[in-house]
This record gives sequence, structure tokens and C-alpha cells, in this order.
Amino acid sequence: MPSEPLIQLRDVHLAFADNPVLRGIDLDVHKGQAVSIIGPSGSGKSTILRCLTGLLRPQLGSIRIGQTQVDQLRGEAELIALRKQVGFVFQQYNLFPHLSVLENLLIAPTKVLGRNRNEAREQALALLDKVRLGHKAAAFPGELSGGQQQRVAIARALAMRPELILFDEVTSALDPEMVGEVLAVIRELTEEGMTCVLVTHEMRFAEEISDQVYFTEHGRIVEHGSAAQIFGDPVHERTRTFLQHALGQGGQRPSRPAPDVYRNLGRYSLSV
Amino acid sequence: MATEHLATLWHWAPTLGMGLLQNIQMSVGAIGLGTLLGLLVGLLLLSPLAPVRALARLWVQVFRNAPWLVLIYFTSYVFPFDIQVGSTWVAFPDWLKVTVGLALPASANVAEIFRGAVASIPATQWEAARSLAFSRGQILRSIILPQCLRRMLPPWMNLYAVVTMGTALASLVGVHDLIDSAQIAANTVNRSGFTVLVYFSVLALFFAYCYPIARLTQRLERRYAF
Amino acid sequence: MSELLHVLVGQLARLGLNYSFLLESHASGKLLDGALTTLWLCLWSIVGSLLVGVLLAAAVTSARRWLQWPARAFIEVTRNTPTLVQLYCAFLVLNMLINQSLGNANPMTPFAWVVLVISLHKGAFHAEALRAGIEAVPAVTLEAASSLAFSRRQQLFQVQLPLAVRFALPALVNNLIDLVKMTAVASAIAVNDITYASIMIWTQGDNVIELMILILAFYGLLSFAVNCAGRAVEARLRMPGYGN
Repeated sequence: MPSEPLIQLRDVHLAFADNPVLRGIDLDVHKGQAVSIIGPSGSGKSTILRCLTGLLRPQLGSIRIGQTQVDQLRGEAELIALRKQVGFVFQQYNLFPHLSVLENLLIAPTKVLGRNRNEAREQALALLDKVRLGHKAAAFPGELSGGQQQRVAIARALAMRPELILFDEVTSALDPEMVGEVLAVIRELTEEGMTCVLVTHEMRFAEEISDQVYFTEHGRIVEHGSAAQIFGDPVHERTRTFLQHALGQGGQRPSRPAPDVYRNLGRYSLSV
Repeated sequence: MATEHLATLWHWAPTLGMGLLQNIQMSVGAIGLGTLLGLLVGLLLLSPLAPVRALARLWVQVFRNAPWLVLIYFTSYVFPFDIQVGSTWVAFPDWLKVTVGLALPASANVAEIFRGAVASIPATQWEAARSLAFSRGQILRSIILPQCLRRMLPPWMNLYAVVTMGTALASLVGVHDLIDSAQIAANTVNRSGFTVLVYFSVLALFFAYCYPIARLTQRLERRYAF
Repeated sequence: MSELLHVLVGQLARLGLNYSFLLESHASGKLLDGALTTLWLCLWSIVGSLLVGVLLAAAVTSARRWLQWPARAFIEVTRNTPTLVQLYCAFLVLNMLINQSLGNANPMTPFAWVVLVISLHKGAFHAEALRAGIEAVPAVTLEAASSLAFSRRQQLFQVQLPLAVRFALPALVNNLIDLVKMTAVASAIAVNDITYASIMIWTQGDNVIELMILILAFYGLLSFAVNCAGRAVEARLRMPGYGN
């Protein structure tokens, strides 16, 4: 592809204390592409996404998104400017539990982008229709199923009209029967030409929608190529064994329960 | 000036120490009596008989929602100076009345702690025991209670610290406790520097006794986190 | 009104409870005054304690060590010493010192000291509840806010605090119910609250049980009112699908 890539990572290193997580990552994503990052748990896939949106800062290497040199960003204002262009969808949905579904979609566009509330509202309702949840606008996140919450989370990211969206294992916490409805929404987005970077354990899905697939292990890119090449004719032995295992298991990982935000606090109020 | 006050404080130290012992005596008596009563009321809360449960709940409601000071006034004014046991009259001193007055709210709180601990044991434990043909009493005794005791310990210790702080109220009904001793000392010496010193010493003594209990409670809580 | 009272007193007399003192204007006036004083004590202390609680919680969760450390120490001392001793340290010691330096210009009344001490005392408990609430907000939820380009300020006011208050609310309501009971300590420094008024009456008569039932009912009523108000706020801030 001749054009300049939208995202470019070169030799990115990151360690937590003494524990190296990324050991030299190179990655390119062109505008309109869907790129999947696959690999075993703990291979640093989610860390790459967190670096892209500035939640984590690499110790070494360069990250460029569009004209922004992400690793050089200093201060909150510059990070905010980046995050206005980069959407992020989390494994645990992370909706705001005290706001209705509609408010979840409105809060960032109105408070952060300063958009007109009526206009934002129209867009939010349209997005909810798009993820087939128009009837849930007034509901609260706690009242929705995991799959529905995740679709709201995708709509929330879209409401910022980002240039690209990062998906971090968005189906891993879901019950198997809800995975399909979420993947359908993502598939639609890629077909519309939204630039998407996905970390996923859904191998069949990655194979179907990805333009490029990266296989990571131990903080390194083992190999990358077109979906057909990686899944049909992988070069490396490691990739082959991983795919055999992953495809054998149907790409499903045991789901983790959503974190319980409600705790019993302050039991001791008694005093004399 | 300051050393002079410290010397005076040293002079009064035995009196203050006796006062503190009186507080500790009342706190131990009140938590002991309160725990016995509270466990009894707590068991009644689990009774299969509705009227018994209602009575136990009334006890808990009344004594949990009453100001401790009011209960202490109550026991101090209502109980006689001595009571007849058989043919002899036994003195019923003020400090004992206060101990009873503190034991009442303590018992209500122990009952509540007990109920909370029983409720925190998953229902599946009851089901599992029932499927092994245990009776209700057997399940309580050999399955539920042993698991409860551990969970009750941290809140019970917190309650003990609160009861200890509650004994400070005894000075208001004429018990010669730490605060009463401090008041006497302050009035006798009648120097403002000493007054400052003696009252903040009382504060420090209570803190020195209660803070370690609070820390230990936190440690146990973290260890027993469930 | 007074006829109704007569009938009521008559009915209670049948149960063996002698409430005839309610018919004397002197005693009933005293009790009514006391009830009003307790009510004002509660209202002022509730407002004061919430204010203190918010400030202490802010200090204790702040990143500045010089702010965090004294607040922490204050909370620990307050939680682990009797309110009565705190009240004495304030009213018998600080008040004495103020009197010595200001003389008659001392603006603090016993009533004001009680409000101040209870506000500081319960404020320490509120601060603990709020701190726990702030810490209970999941880090991932804040991460979500930051990935939506929220500033630190927006994260705090749009996400962290609204959630923290909701988590802390049950504990705050419990604290406030306890605060109502705590106001009885005002009688120790002769503030004419309902407890003090009752002592004044029962030292003259033989109505201890009757008075006791009356003031326990009064405190019960106040606690109930606070509880209802708390539940109403909880219902308003409810997050459907979370908690009970």
C-alpha cells in the first residue's frame, strides 16, 4: 500500500517495573483498514492498545497517529486532543452506571467536545438505532445484558466521531450467546470503512473481517500478514501451534464476571 | 511552668489511674453481659416462632435506637441502691448500674452482629446440611455458628471499643471514673495550664486504649475478608 | 388539642403509665423547649458534619502529604476517643482559654460548642465513608472516562464523585442516625435539650419510666425522619441494576 499509514509503531518498548511487556513492537495501520492483534494471554496485546490512546506511555520507541506523535505528548491537554480522535472499547464495557444509556452517549460529546445538546441527542439516538438499541435509551447500564452494554459502549465511542476505534477483547467477558450481536456491529463498522484495531480471541471473526493480522507473543510481533496468509499459511511454527489450539477451542475463552462495583461500606457508624 | 504542671499531673496520676481502671472494669463487664444477652437475643431472632422473633426484634430496635446516655440515666435512676438476694441485701453501686446501662445497647448490637453473620453464610450451606439430614438445631450448632464466630470477631471488637468510650458517660451519674477524677483534679488544682494538661491527658489515655483495638480490628478484617 | 391530650393521658393512666405531668404547663413547656433544642442541634450538626466530612475526605484523598497526614491523624483521634471527653476538651478547656483572652466577648455558647464538637466528630466518620466510596470507584471506569477525552476535573466531577457519593450514601445515612442519638450528650454541659429537660422533670417527680418512653419515642421519631430522608435521596440517586 503506497499511502502513508494512519498508525505507525516503531520499536515500542514498555516494562512494568522490571517486567518487560512490550519488547520492540512495529505495527502499521492504514486508513480504513481493520487490523487484528492475536496471540496468547499476557503477550502484550491490550498494552499496545493502551499505548495508542495514551493511557500507558512506552519507555522507548515511537508511536504516531495521523500527525500526532503519541509518545511525545506532554500534559493533559495534548492527551485530550488525541483521545478526541481515538475511540476505545473495553473488555468490561465500563459504562457509567449512574447515567442512563442516552446520557452515557451524550456526556462526552456535550461536555468534552462542547457540541449542541439537541444535535448530540439526535446523533446519539441514531447511533443507538445503529447498534439496535434504540428502545433502551432511557434504561440504565445495570439493567442491560452484557452484550447490550457492550453495544452501548461501541455507540458511546462512535458518538465522539473518532478517526479510528480500538477494541480491547470486547467479547471476552460476554456469555457465548451474546458474542454474535456485538461482532455484528463491529463487522458493520469495518464494512463502512471505519479504521479499527482489534485485540481479540475470536479467531474466525478476525479471519473474516481483518485486512491485516498481527500475531504477538512475549511482547514481540512474531509475524504479520493478510488474514488469508496468517490463518491459511502461517510462516512460524509458534503461530501454527497457537492457531491450532485457538481454533480448536472455537476461539472462546472462559468469561470473567463483571467487576462488582457495589460494596458494603462503612459498617461501623456507631460512636459515643 | 510546664514542668510544674507535669509534676502536679504525676501527683494525680494514681487517682487518674484508678479512674481508668474503673472505666475498664465497666467496659469489660458491659461487653461480657452484653455479649451473653446479645447472643441470646440473636438466637431468638432466628426462632421459628413468630411472636418470639417479634419480641427479639423489638429489643434490638429499642436498644439500638436509644441514645446510650439516656439508657445510662435510666438504669441509674430506676434501679434501687441495693437489691435483696435471698435474705441478704446486696449493694447495687452506681458503676454496676452503668455497666447494665451499657450492656443493654451492647446486647442489641451483638444480636445485630450475630444476625448479620448468620445471614452472611450462604443459603447453600443450610441446604447442604439439610440434605445430610441434620436438624435445624444441629445445623446451627455444628455448621453455621462455627463459621459465624470468625466473622463476628472484627465488628464485636469494634463494639468493645465503642463500649469503652461509652463508659466516659458514667461520670455524669456520679461514678468515680477517669473523667470524674480529672474534673476533681482540675477543680482542686485550679490552674488553667493544668486544666488543659489533665483533660488532654484523658483524651490521650482513651486514645491509647482504643486505637490499638481499632488497628487490630482492621487487621483481622483484612485477614478475614470474605 | 388540650382535650385530646387529656383523653390520651387518661387512656395511658389505665395502662398504669402516669403522664399527668404533661398536663402541667411548666413541665410540658420545658419538654417542648427541650424537643425544639434537640431538633435545632440535629439540624445544625447534620449540616456541619457533612461539611466537615467533605473537607476531611478531600484532604485525606489529596495527593499533598502535608494535607493528608494531619487529616488522617485527626480522623483517627476523633474516632477513637469519647465524644464526651472531646466536648470537655472543647467546652471546659478551649472555652476557658477563649474566656481568659476575650472575656465577655467570647461568642461561643454551650449550644455552639455541642454543634461544633458533634460536627467534627461525625464529620470524621463521614470522611471515612466518602474516602471508601472514592476508592470503590473502579479504576477501569475512570480509564473509560479518560479514553473519552475527559479532563482530570471532568473525571472527578462527572464520574468519580457522583459514583463515590452513591457508594457512601448508606454509610452516611447510618452516621446521621447515630448523630441524632449523639446530641443527648449536650445535656452534659447543661444545654437545655430534651434529655436535660427530662432529667430536670424526673428529679422532681416519680415519672422516670414514663419520661423514658417519651424521649426514646422522640429520638426514635427523629431517627426515623432522618432515615426516611436518606432513603429518599438514595432512591433519587439509585442506579438501576446495581446494589439493592
